Amino acid sequence: MVVYDLQAVTKQYPQQPQPANQHITLQIHAGEIFGLLGDNGAGKTTLVRQMVNLLQPTSGSIKLFDKPIAHDPLHTATTVGYMPQDANALNNLTVGEALYFTAHLRGLSRRDAQQERDTLLATWQIGDLRDKYSSRLSGGQRRLLRLVVAMAGRLPVLILDEPTNDLDPQRRRMVWDNLKQLNQSQGTTIIFITHDAIEAEKIIQRVGILRQGELVAVGRPSELKKQVAQQLRLELFFPPETPPHLPAHLTPHQLQPGRWLAWVERGDIGQVLNGLNLEQLDDFRLYSATLEDLYVHYANQSRR
Amino acid sequence: MSTMRINPVVEQRTRQSPVAQWWDLFLMELTNWRWSWRMTLITGSLAPLFLIILLGVFADHQARSDLAYLLTGNMVIGLLLGTMTRIINRVEFLRFGGGLDFFATLPVQRFLFVFAMIASFLVFSLPSLLIMLTVGAWWLALPLALHPLLLLVIPLCTIPLAGIGVFLGLIGRSWGEASSWGLVVSLLFSVLGPVMIPPDRLPVALLWLGYLSPATYAASALRQVVIGPITAYVLVDLAVLAAMSALLLWLVERKMSWREN
Repeated sequence: MVVYDLQAVTKQYPQQPQPANQHITLQIHAGEIFGLLGDNGAGKTTLVRQMVNLLQPTSGSIKLFDKPIAHDPLHTATTVGYMPQDANALNNLTVGEALYFTAHLRGLSRRDAQQERDTLLATWQIGDLRDKYSSRLSGGQRRLLRLVVAMAGRLPVLILDEPTNDLDPQRRRMVWDNLKQLNQSQGTTIIFITHDAIEAEKIIQRVGILRQGELVAVGRPSELKKQVAQQLRLELFFPPETPPHLPAHLTPHQLQPGRWLAWVERGDIGQVLNGLNLEQLDDFRLYSATLEDLYVHYANQSRR
Repeated sequence: MSTMRINPVVEQRTRQSPVAQWWDLFLMELTNWRWSWRMTLITGSLAPLFLIILLGVFADHQARSDLAYLLTGNMVIGLLLGTMTRIINRVEFLRFGGGLDFFATLPVQRFLFVFAMIASFLVFSLPSLLIMLTVGAWWLALPLALHPLLLLVIPLCTIPLAGIGVFLGLIGRSWGEASSWGLVVSLLFSVLGPVMIPPDRLPVALLWLGYLSPATYAASALRQVVIGPITAYVLVDLAVLAAMSALLLWLVERKMSWREN
């Protein structure tokens, strides 16, 4: 079942030389976890704002469950939970009030909305914030609240604009775990924007990469990786003051002090690992190209 | 690809009734009291009250009619400063702080949101009106003759002014612009027409221009139901205020777009 069907969506803001989105054609299927990657200003937020009917495309069409979203403004609102980057509307409400009212307005009975509030507070480990005003929360807590509010009412589609920014590593992990769990248990279609490509890779099933308003790549990460990266990524960790002896054909470059990256052909991997003196290394990691590598590849490819 | 397994609660879900939507939105908007009560107290009660006290010192306490204009005119000024300008602040905050996006992505009717916002600010105006009425009447030694029509007059005085506030908030091009216009409009409405000053002391031009201002009809209606006597003019005042309320609510509903172009 197709959830979103975008056909040649273009958005041109007035007095801007370039369109924010150019001829974007994309289908997102039911139960999918879809990640949108791209540089700042690539047009990701503009695209999702059109998908939740907050912004009108200059041309092209957007259908949600086979129904044009422009025809009935409440169609999107009853189907999609949206987490914007900023939402000061919740400032006057306590965390508990924000969750309860959102769940009730999304169609739950008052009793179900109360249960939903309590379940979400427990699931997201924010029960201690229940009676705290949103305006008094820290940046990370506010972002988490916006994410949880988007989920209130258990709508079949979620669109999340940078759900893990400002969050500490523990909460970031909780977000990815809970999103995956929600997707598996309820079949919720999840579409999100992130700059956190490495962590998001754990749950992303399909990815779209935006560059200067254009969708330059769409597909499963594994398929895209096969197209662009035949090499494996070898990360080496060693004290900067005592560099180890490395095989001659291995030419690493420094990512940060003490952390080096080398690309290795798949066929050479045994020889390279045998050639490493592990006693001189603090650590090493070997893996295929990451989603971040993919993103960087497409971003750079387009720049060339 | 996994198949869709929508939670049964979602499948059984129906959109909330308009009354339920309005009530939720009203309660949510009422929480504005948490930030606005100090400002409402200062600009909506204390400032007009000081004006009553100051002008009351110089007023001729034998001229009961003048005192009635002073009291009810300042109650209207309290509505202008305390309600209209606060609602402008609220709309600006929602527009430029991303708050409207939150409401726009909820399954609620746009006009119900506008009604809820105006209704909440109507509630906020009541303590200020009560303070001004009781303290002002006591200071001016003005006997009150409250008429039950007061219950109708107060909402009809508040709704057009709040509607103008929402409208100004929606047309401002940057944060703060509409608030500035709100102060200008408040000042204009205070001096156009017999709001605080009896008509026989006003220039004819101001008197005529006053017929365009909702503050004129609000002050007139308040005077009749608070001090008396009630005349047939109260029906004209109420009819004009009701028409202005309807027109402004319609304008605001059309102007408040959930969707940007």
